[in-house]
Amino acid sequence: MAKVEEYKLFPGCTIGNRIPFIEASARKVFDKLGIKTSDAAFACCPDPVGFNSVDHTSWLAMGARNLTLAEAEGKDILSLCNGCFQTLKLVNVELNNNEHEKEKINKILKVVGKEFQGSINVKHFVEVLHDYGPDKIKEFVTHDFSGLKVACHTGCHYNRPSEIVQTDDPMEPVKLRELVAATGATPIDYSEEMLCCGSGVGNTEEAPSMQLLANKFSSAVKAGADVFVVICPACFQQMDTNQKKAGTQSNNEFKIPILYLTELIALSFGMNPDELGLKFHRARLTEFLTKNGFK
Amino acid sequence: MVMVDYELKKKVMDANIHDALKYCYQCNRCTDVCPVADLAPNRYNPRNLILNSFLGLKENIFGGDDSFNIWGCTMCDTCDEICPQKIELTGVFTVLKNMSIAMGEAPEYYTIQASAIYDSGKAIPPQPAIERRREQL
Ligand code: SF4
Ligand code: SF4
Repeated sequence: MAKVEEYKLFPGCTIGNRIPFIEASARKVFDKLGIKTSDAAFACCPDPVGFNSVDHTSWLAMGARNLTLAEAEGKDILSLCNGCFQTLKLVNVELNNNEHEKEKINKILKVVGKEFQGSINVKHFVEVLHDYGPDKIKEFVTHDFSGLKVACHTGCHYNRPSEIVQTDDPMEPVKLRELVAATGATPIDYSEEMLCCGSGVGNTEEAPSMQLLANKFSSAVKAGADVFVVICPACFQQMDTNQKKAGTQSNNEFKIPILYLTELIALSFGMNPDELGLKFHRARLTEFLTKNGFK
Repeated sequence: MVMVDYELKKKVMDANIHDALKYCYQCNRCTDVCPVADLAPNRYNPRNLILNSFLGLKENIFGGDDSFNIWGCTMCDTCDEICPQKIELTGVFTVLKNMSIAMGEAPEYYTIQASAIYDSGKAIPPQPAIERRREQL
């Protein structure tokens, strides 16, 4: 496996082209911690929910092409997104364990002058931060977040299928909780912690998607959550932009801030909400920021 | 008369799931934990999909009034995790979805996104306004 001196950063299409402030917060946090990253000419991962459903072979080939770019430099990939992470990891493992598929895909890649080797690893940013160490992260914390109650939402593609991704417990993940705790905030228990945000089925039909989201929100609110902390841009968009619809669907009103883990960490390091672009969130953060001592 | 489609049988059996599929004993754990089956039990049922797939009962899967019975899956991978027989259900569902696309029965979202990826290499093409926002941060 590749050496972990510098990672190839894989922001993905959703973060790169829709929610750049998430990428900004991640880069700032990595800089502060001294986690080195560099860029590459990656294309779409492609999406494990959408594109894999359309054509599995094309999905494998495009995923493999991205992997070859990192292989060329002998560096592991660091993903900021559950979807990209799952795709790249699944493709990497599938091709590494199936000679027949590998041959088939390499025939396709030959056309663009590439060959999949299987020489690098793919990491989710939560794994990387957790390997770095919650205790070491704690040393950088300057802001007091004690008393802040956080509903952690890992989303589905970070830790499942567990035999392949091997990041965390598939039904009781702990790494996100430990990283949130490192900022001084308190991760709470809520009954629907493992429930999907509903983004996937939303591509097909809105009502069940909004109902899943509403069930998730209600359970966290009932447990006293002040904010959600998420680690996937698809979950982020679903949860940040659809609060009104989820409310209408379920006769509720939801007003709950959604933070990316790297945003919470950046704030805990004393970074300024403006430089993080927090004003671009759809679910307003004003109240949360004032309450927690930011101007 | 029940029609068995051997092409379908072969495809799902081949789908990188080795021979695990034939060990499904219809225990229903997958459907028990499925959040979509919980909300819409009459419209989506993963256990049923697995049964019809390995029996090759194509008509029970495709060509219905809507394709929610296939595309209702929210891809949470919970069933994969819970199945006592270690069947990778979503691997089978990917085969069914690929077939549904080929038959023109899939929801629009999927074909539109796929064309964007084939055209530009990105599911979500860059937009000037977002690019500017990106520069500022
Ligand atoms: S959980 Fe597994 S064994 Fe049980 S019905 Fe579902 S696919 Fe079959
Ligand atoms: S992956 Fe699909 S079928 Fe399996 S539990 Fe989730 S929604 Fe249900």
